[in-house]
Amino acid sequence: MTAMERVMSILTLRGLPRFWQVSIYAMVGVAVGVGLFVVRVANATSYLSDSPETCMNCHVMSDAYASWQRGSHRHVAVCTDCHVPHENLVAKYAYKARDGMKHSYVFTMRAEPQVMELSKGAIPVVQSNCVKCHSDQLTMIRLATTSERKCWDCHSNIHGSVRSLSASPPSLRPGLPDAGLDWIKKGNQ
Amino acid sequence: MTTGRTPNQAKGSSRQTGAFPLWAGAAIVLLVAAVVVLLGLLAFSIVERRWEAQRPALVVTPIAEWEPNNAVWGQNYPREYESYLKTRMDTSKTKFGGAFPRDYLEGDPYQVILFAGYGFGKEYLQARGHYHAVEDVTKTKRIKVPVNAATCWTCKSTDVPRLMDKMGVKEFYAANFHDLKGEITHPIGCQDCHDPETMKLRITRPALREGFAAMGRDINEATHQEMRSLVCAQCHVEYYFKTDAAAGLKNYLTLPWSKGTTVEAMLEYYDEIEFSDYVNPISGTPIVKPQHPDYELYLTGVHSYRDVSCADCHMPYRTEGGVKFTDHHVQSPLLNISNSCAVCHRWSEDEIRGRVEGIQAKVSGAMMEAEEALVQAHFDIAAAVQAGAMDEVLKAARQSLRHAQFRWDYVSATNGMGFHSPQESMRLLGEAANLAQQARLEVARLLARIGVTVTPQYPDVSTRQKAWDVAQTFIKGDGTKLFP
Repeated sequence: MTAMERVMSILTLRGLPRFWQVSIYAMVGVAVGVGLFVVRVANATSYLSDSPETCMNCHVMSDAYASWQRGSHRHVAVCTDCHVPHENLVAKYAYKARDGMKHSYVFTMRAEPQVMELSKGAIPVVQSNCVKCHSDQLTMIRLATTSERKCWDCHSNIHGSVRSLSASPPSLRPGLPDAGLDWIKKGNQ
Repeated sequence: MTTGRTPNQAKGSSRQTGAFPLWAGAAIVLLVAAVVVLLGLLAFSIVERRWEAQRPALVVTPIAEWEPNNAVWGQNYPREYESYLKTRMDTSKTKFGGAFPRDYLEGDPYQVILFAGYGFGKEYLQARGHYHAVEDVTKTKRIKVPVNAATCWTCKSTDVPRLMDKMGVKEFYAANFHDLKGEITHPIGCQDCHDPETMKLRITRPALREGFAAMGRDINEATHQEMRSLVCAQCHVEYYFKTDAAAGLKNYLTLPWSKGTTVEAMLEYYDEIEFSDYVNPISGTPIVKPQHPDYELYLTGVHSYRDVSCADCHMPYRTEGGVKFTDHHVQSPLLNISNSCAVCHRWSEDEIRGRVEGIQAKVSGAMMEAEEALVQAHFDIAAAVQAGAMDEVLKAARQSLRHAQFRWDYVSATNGMGFHSPQESMRLLGEAANLAQQARLEVARLLARIGVTVTPQYPDVSTRQKAWDVAQTFIKGDGTKLFP
């Protein structure tokens, strides 16, 4: 039996009674359908993009979004410009995938802190991204290579001077992005 | 076709090699079912958490105007109520505070001397959380039997606004504490600060309203951010019980604010009406006991200057799911640093705690220094009395001691070991020590004038019991002999 034949025999469920074969196909169909549903309601494909709305898929980031949207950086940078490495595509997506897994775990388990801090792994990433854009302001004062101080030790108000999941009033927080089900609602063409 | 890969499969009669055995079907069914269940749970969680960001607050049952039962409010506001219930916890300890009923007199026997002849010399415990207010006020040894002012209930229960409405404010204060025991059962809670219909913050205790009016201010003009401190200031302030037969007032709860909210302004007020809570029997000094002027001290601090309210640190906002609410577990911010301090001060918890405790340790040190001078001043004046000095010549020394002890107690009685305003606290403690030493200097000169050259021998007051025994000799008789 060639490898191809073996794969085919597994895929066609050879050796099982017809009833089992049909049932299993139906069940796998159900599983795939539920999987697709999860992909849709979770806005899963948006995670491949750099859109800042993606970060708001869970409302933990609503305040980060609201403060970014009202800060000067909104003109020049989105979330991923600062919070994801840009050395190469592999590094970028590996970092995104690892961070994303961690975030979705924390959010699903309701373990999010009220006041967020940059994680250990995120500190060098954000620092190097600051320098990437602002290097021309740093060369003369030799801060570009410093390691003991971070840009935000002084420039602490990039996301506003008060930081908490609750810092921004509700009226400044945009609603969650459309998860693709809104067409069901009446009057929402 | 090759032969089967395992002996088992080779034995199968009609089955072809490489094909599935029958149990594989069942295994696949179970596996797929498990996958569907997990995906379904995940999908449900995602949909639920999207929904919670959009869910409006639902008011299930309307709340009556004077509803005292916190549980009834809790039906409509479960998050606030559940966090409020945590004020029941009475084991939390910070370096200087927490909700643990710390016994101040055990830890600091000097206070037995300073409060001799007054209830605080008998029992002085760190207050537990709001949840225990009714229970604790009925248990404290400071409440006298069979008659005590009903005014002591004012800050303990959500039943108070209802009773004031029913009885009248003057009549409520004038009543006997013990007569109202059956009526007052619900501890400090929702009704004390909130309008039941709109949940807007409101002032339910007349004393604060009247205190503002005495300063020529209208409390109705306060902003929402000010109200987030003022609802606390209904109780966490300095006050006294005013009795004025001509005006028909008995034990009327009054804030001494008509000249201002500073220590100097309040002392001037008390001196003018010659008010004292008790006369310390050791030195014969009329003493004013500050209650807990948390709000007044806070007004002089940097957090107040920056418009940070009581609630910002003691009841910080929380976000659960998409719902933002105020954490009603009122407690020391040191027990919740990451959600209170760290919102503005972006340092590690340990750094913040170190900074706060460093400030508190300095205040505590200055407090003990001032306390020692105060205790010695009480004994020095007692020594002058034993040497035959008359009240008339001791007036200035007693006045200095009265002002000194008010300043020390103003910091001591306030929660937070001076952190509500570190510089003002240190200023007051410095003045307290200086004034106490001036009283001692006064006595030393007096003794020199009448030819007493022997130094008074201070009795041993190093434990609560020893201090208590010494105080009793002065309360019941001529006191411990201070000259050998």
